[in-house]
Amino acid sequence: MDERLIATVASALRVPTSTLTLETGPGDLPAWDSLAQINVVSEIESEFGVSIPIEQMAEIRHIRDFLGYLTKTP
Amino acid sequence: MKCALLSNVNVESIARQMERHEVHIAQGYGVWTQELADPTSGTYGSGPSSIFVVIDGGELLRGRRGLESTIAEVDEHLAWIEQAAERSPGIKFFVSTIDVPARALRPLKEERIERRLEQHWHGGIARASARHSNVYIFDLKELVEQKGRSLLYSNKRWYLGGLRFSTAGEKFIARELERILDAQRIARKKCLLLDLDNTLWGGVIGEDGLNGIQLSQTGEGARYRDFQLRIRELGEMGVILGIVSKNNEADAFEVFEGHEHMVLRKGDFAAMKINWTPKTQNIADLAQDLDIGVDSIVFIDDSPVEREAVRTALPEVTVPEFPVDTCELAAFFEQVYKDCFFTLDSTAEDRKRTAAYVANAKRAAERTAAPSMEAFLVGLGTRISFARVCDEDLPRAAQLTQKTNQLNLTTRRYTEQELRALQTTPDTEVFIASVADKYGDNGKVLVSIVRRKARDTAELDTFLMSCRVMGRFIEDQILDHLVKELRADGLSRLRVPFVPTRKNAPARAFIERLRGGRLVSDDESGAETWEFDIARASPVTKPSYAELLTQPTRLLEVQS
Repeated sequence: MDERLIATVASALRVPTSTLTLETGPGDLPAWDSLAQINVVSEIESEFGVSIPIEQMAEIRHIRDFLGYLTKTP
Repeated sequence: MKCALLSNVNVESIARQMERHEVHIAQGYGVWTQELADPTSGTYGSGPSSIFVVIDGGELLRGRRGLESTIAEVDEHLAWIEQAAERSPGIKFFVSTIDVPARALRPLKEERIERRLEQHWHGGIARASARHSNVYIFDLKELVEQKGRSLLYSNKRWYLGGLRFSTAGEKFIARELERILDAQRIARKKCLLLDLDNTLWGGVIGEDGLNGIQLSQTGEGARYRDFQLRIRELGEMGVILGIVSKNNEADAFEVFEGHEHMVLRKGDFAAMKINWTPKTQNIADLAQDLDIGVDSIVFIDDSPVEREAVRTALPEVTVPEFPVDTCELAAFFEQVYKDCFFTLDSTAEDRKRTAAYVANAKRAAERTAAPSMEAFLVGLGTRISFARVCDEDLPRAAQLTQKTNQLNLTTRRYTEQELRALQTTPDTEVFIASVADKYGDNGKVLVSIVRRKARDTAELDTFLMSCRVMGRFIEDQILDHLVKELRADGLSRLRVPFVPTRKNAPARAFIERLRGGRLVSDDESGAETWEFDIARASPVTKPSYAELLTQPTRLLEVQS
């Protein structure tokens, strides 16, 4: 799950997987600006078939924080 | 390539996906029209060769109720696009069609003004495209209809960042835009070779007979008829069509001549190899007959064994996988078109090409029959017309620089925009020549760019000729004419650079039959520069076989 999540984020940011860990977050990479953050959320939603409410997006500071949304859904 | 992307919604994320190209963006309500209208805007400042105008129909209609006021505003937008195209003839404008989702709650009795708006916009850009050669239609609406709004759009992204399209939608759009940019740089394939049995019709003619094969207007046989219709459309766009089939020729011809539902006719094909020779051999022979590289050939065959044999023996030939489900034949072929033959605009030259190759085959037959090469060349009654390029010639001239590989001294590729700039560059002239003979018109086939390097020295920046008229010493006669004109203008030296490539051996042969050349430079890459003293003699050794028509022009006038 962790690897698939990181791969999804890497593909959304168009960066190599090796540049990311679960602790990487928005603003840590030049490629991860606010526009890229929208793409990250979109890609995770379509890859994992989940929906992340707009209200909760501000709380996502690290890739790890997405895990909570992925496991909630069966 | 440098391009600009203008939109009334946020398209930055689309631009980021077009990594191979330099994309300038200007976006937002009102911004795109200002950028378009203002010649000093950042958009023009970025020096784009293409400008994409991608318009979101929903946003265009936002906050409007009445059709009339909306139409009035749309007309204003269209006028700006036309003015921009008129002012910048060197830039290609790709304007999207629009998709306007019905967003208002509305009873079934009311007119759907969204449909009207879509049509009105399309009518406007179609007129602009008809009036301006540099305006093209980017069919976004078709993409939306093909993929579906629920896949292409995203509400969440819209509210989060003004991003209208889903990530999937952005990928589709970015791919289409890149296809358009690539088509301007990468040569498309020239020739499509087709198998017959179970490819152009269902079944095997040698076994099933004329009445047993599947080919019809409706029902199962229509899969093949629809496929043939698409192939004929491709032929009409100037792609050379050929047949490579293991069959008895007489059986195959019976279908071409006697089957009422056959769309393709013998005359649609420039070459047919219907025999029992291995297809790899036939394809190699056919490339030689037509004088094209095997890397410009696409081969379609239902048999995986034949496909594999061709891929192995001739890896440069493009061999697409044949669809397992033949109901997808026409759709498969649309993809082949996009991948291999996509073009922005098929020029009149393209459309004449198959006829030209058929005429070439006739010339080849006459050459074999003629008592001597000289008699054959004289007997052709060749007429060359040679002139400075004018605006209408630019698309063809650019195409020639991009596609000609064999008789090409320097293989410098130019875009239409670059050639247009050369027209007004001091000490530089761009020439184009067309060739006709008793078998037909070969169209514009030769481009030469001459630059003045010093007071008495000119250089051939470019000298190239299409392979379709090679072997007739037309290039010699044109060079001889150029030399005379240069001499009349007071120049006494001509520099001829030669840059070797994997394919331009004919250019090397051309240089070698010139006389009096002095090698003034060469380097490790094999590039050479030859210099000829043209004050008294011409380097050309071959006699003239054609009639040459020119307008008297001063080429590169000596400044006092």
